[in-house]
Amino acid sequence: MKKLAAILMALMLVLSLCACASGTEETAAEEPATEAAAETTETTAEEPAEIPDISLTLWGSELTDFQDTLRVMCDNFIAAYADEANITIEIGAQSESTAKDTILTDISAAADVFYFADDQIGELVNAGALQPVESVDAITEANGGADAGAVQASTVGGTLYAYPAMGGNGYFLYYDTEYVTAEQAGSWAGLLEAANAADKQVTMQLNSGWYLYGFFKGAGFTCSLADDKTTTECDWNTTGGTDVAQAILDITADPGFINLDDAAFVTGVQEGTIIAGVNGSWNAASVQEAWGDNYATAKLPTYTLNGSEVQMGSFDGYKLVGVNAYSENVGWAMRLAEWLTNEENQIALYEGTGGSAVPSNVNAASSESVQANPVVAALAMQSQFASAQSLSVGGNYWTPTETLGNILANGNPDGTDLQQLLDETVAGVTAPVG
Amino acid sequence: MKKRKQDAGRTFLPVRAVKSWLDGDVFVKLTPLLWGAGYIRRKQYVKGFLALVFEAVVVLFSITYGCPNIAKLGTLGTVKRATVYNPVTMKNEVNQYDNSFLILLFGLVGLLVIAAALIVLLRIVSEARELQQKSERGEPVNSFRDDVRDLFNQRFHITLLSLPSLGIIVFTIIPLLFMILVAFTNYDQQHMAPTELFTWVGLDNFKRLFTTSLSETFGYSFGKVLGWTLVWAFFATFTCYFGGIALSLLINNKRTRVKKLWRTLFVICIAVPQFVSLLLVRNFFADTGIVNTFCANAGITDFLKSIGLVGQYLDHIPFLTEAKWAKVMIVIINFWIGVPYLMLIATGVLMNIPTEYYESAKIDGANALQTFNRITMPFMLSVTGPYLITSFIANINNFNVIYLLTQDVYFTMDTKLAASNAKDIDLLVTWLYRLTNDSYNYKMASVIGILVFLVCAVFTLLAFNYTFRKGREGRFQ
Repeated sequence: MKKLAAILMALMLVLSLCACASGTEETAAEEPATEAAAETTETTAEEPAEIPDISLTLWGSELTDFQDTLRVMCDNFIAAYADEANITIEIGAQSESTAKDTILTDISAAADVFYFADDQIGELVNAGALQPVESVDAITEANGGADAGAVQASTVGGTLYAYPAMGGNGYFLYYDTEYVTAEQAGSWAGLLEAANAADKQVTMQLNSGWYLYGFFKGAGFTCSLADDKTTTECDWNTTGGTDVAQAILDITADPGFINLDDAAFVTGVQEGTIIAGVNGSWNAASVQEAWGDNYATAKLPTYTLNGSEVQMGSFDGYKLVGVNAYSENVGWAMRLAEWLTNEENQIALYEGTGGSAVPSNVNAASSESVQANPVVAALAMQSQFASAQSLSVGGNYWTPTETLGNILANGNPDGTDLQQLLDETVAGVTAPVG
Repeated sequence: MKKRKQDAGRTFLPVRAVKSWLDGDVFVKLTPLLWGAGYIRRKQYVKGFLALVFEAVVVLFSITYGCPNIAKLGTLGTVKRATVYNPVTMKNEVNQYDNSFLILLFGLVGLLVIAAALIVLLRIVSEARELQQKSERGEPVNSFRDDVRDLFNQRFHITLLSLPSLGIIVFTIIPLLFMILVAFTNYDQQHMAPTELFTWVGLDNFKRLFTTSLSETFGYSFGKVLGWTLVWAFFATFTCYFGGIALSLLINNKRTRVKKLWRTLFVICIAVPQFVSLLLVRNFFADTGIVNTFCANAGITDFLKSIGLVGQYLDHIPFLTEAKWAKVMIVIINFWIGVPYLMLIATGVLMNIPTEYYESAKIDGANALQTFNRITMPFMLSVTGPYLITSFIANINNFNVIYLLTQDVYFTMDTKLAASNAKDIDLLVTWLYRLTNDSYNYKMASVIGILVFLVCAVFTLLAFNYTFRKGREGRFQ
């Protein structure tokens, strides 16, 4: 009995190992298989009865509106290609902001097509998870040409790796017109004046490399991606860097300023303690609801650097659709990605999600309903001061700058020399990844 | 018979097997080639058949997965994945690429399978010789039925333990060995299988963990994190331990009324899942949380500011957002969460202390403190000593409390820690988690994992050696 059990277990072990291993064998054996497939596609052209079965998985935002709209778009896709293939599409819920973490856990088990935020493109490309776009010209043109922010955000090292799906994922200024005038909203000095007058506060999350970037970018400092596509080059510690740090310290020292993360910003707005704040488009609905008619948006304010006003810069933010390079039906996956991001479907998604999915497609974005959106307006004003993350920063940018921001937000409690602080931050940012 | 078996067991298996093979008849000599030969000759057909099937499986596995991967173990693969999209077939054409991850895994499994098969073969050979001797002496040879019956009688331990042992090998030992091997490779974000290859780098990662320079801060971070881990483990263990004893003494005191009510109230804390309470507490103590609102309204924040415990720039108490505050808060919150368990244990132990001790102490005129120092504590320590050690080790690896209380809330202000993805309040184990989860730095995480094991092993050995030293047991008076 035991021997039998032992042998059964041994067999199971061996079989399960074989089962695990078959994954690689499949990919290895793909070459002859593809040749065979080539022949069959030729024959199917003549005999439409034998169309291939294609099953795809798609990951998109977990929000109900989004999922419902995706289903409609996918059903249209299936119908449009019904004479070429028997397509089934399974839609999974996967937040764009954390798509990378799920995908990199096991690329071959990830969805064929997925939505993701553009800050993850570098790591996804490095891991070989993204299939380069085939129809480069069409996608580039639809999104406003090679210099457009959406195209740059989807490009790594000169190759277009993703299909721009949504713009408007950047940050700008929200303000409450009950307390803040449009003129005050133009500068940090004005905002702090309004906050102190009303005994309220204005906010921005400083302990985040994503927001902190705006101050340094505004003063003309740069971060850029080195040739290896992962290491960041950064000059924040060169002459004048300490002035920027001091300018931030001056803002945080004002009692009218508070450093809050995204969730606390929304709570503060709802409780009425926050009258203006730098935040992203994803919170637009809750802020608008809280402030009602007093809701207003603007480009980022200017700040005082060595006595003169400097416009803050920012990161552009896009959401992209990627195709899994390990997909078994990579061609169909690319077709689906292109379909999901075409003009018509970007408008459908914008309308289906109640205006939160701002189109990146130039034609779709120029429609009246999109242009009237206050978020789009604010981002359009900010866009000339913004730069693409995928061209600017690599994996080691985030933690050191988060720490720098946290020290500045807390008023540099240990009184560390600012130059030393910036030197250490830059050393962390520019360290080789891994 | 039994005696002879024991004698045979004493000689080293390979020596015994080689001797058996040299001395054996032609069927024994044939056994290494056809594993069932010896059994089938002695009419143990089922056993012989099973041996042949096992041989076939081993050989098949070795040819298909074992040997090809073992052969590549030296380099962990040399051919990188390359794809070309074929627009006609709408598929990617992929080359025959090496997957370093699978090579390492299957290479390891292959080596283990071959080693196991070798041991089995050696046993089979020596058993075949024993069978030959038995039949030459005219003794009866076990039938398959006898063997099976044996497994339920004399050798029942094998029947019982084979499944759990296999489970441990598959789910614990193989992953463990795999992770240890990763520490000697450059498996990180830049070398992620299957797209990229990774390879052996020797002791580079270990050297790196002890290096500190401007751009390399792992050494600095390791020292800091290890220090805090030990401080934390010490305070977390002993605050809960003495707190639990004090609480149970209070509840068990003769003058305490409605003992059951108090006990139940504290046990209810256990009924709420730990992570729920931790996440709730994290929100209570957030910078804009309820406790801060209360403290601000009650003037406590301003008071702390005036005596310098809260920074001048802050308008809240940084309970979980400033290193010193957070460390103290974490220990206190852990105390609150852990005390009910200790209270239960201590209550059980206290009830078991013979009342005669206390009575004779009373007659001798001992006061409360003396009874506690001379009777209660020694008894507690002798019973809960091993528990104390295990809970110290468990606290070194106490992921939940630290991670759930500080994730997304705590930002470090130490640029050197930040450069190696650590935070002031990180334990080795949460640092390890951040390294794998946030920056895919598997190689350094493996190195830290090995060191965590070493730290735990050293403390366990020291502590157990001390508590279980000969004659210490029962010496509590």
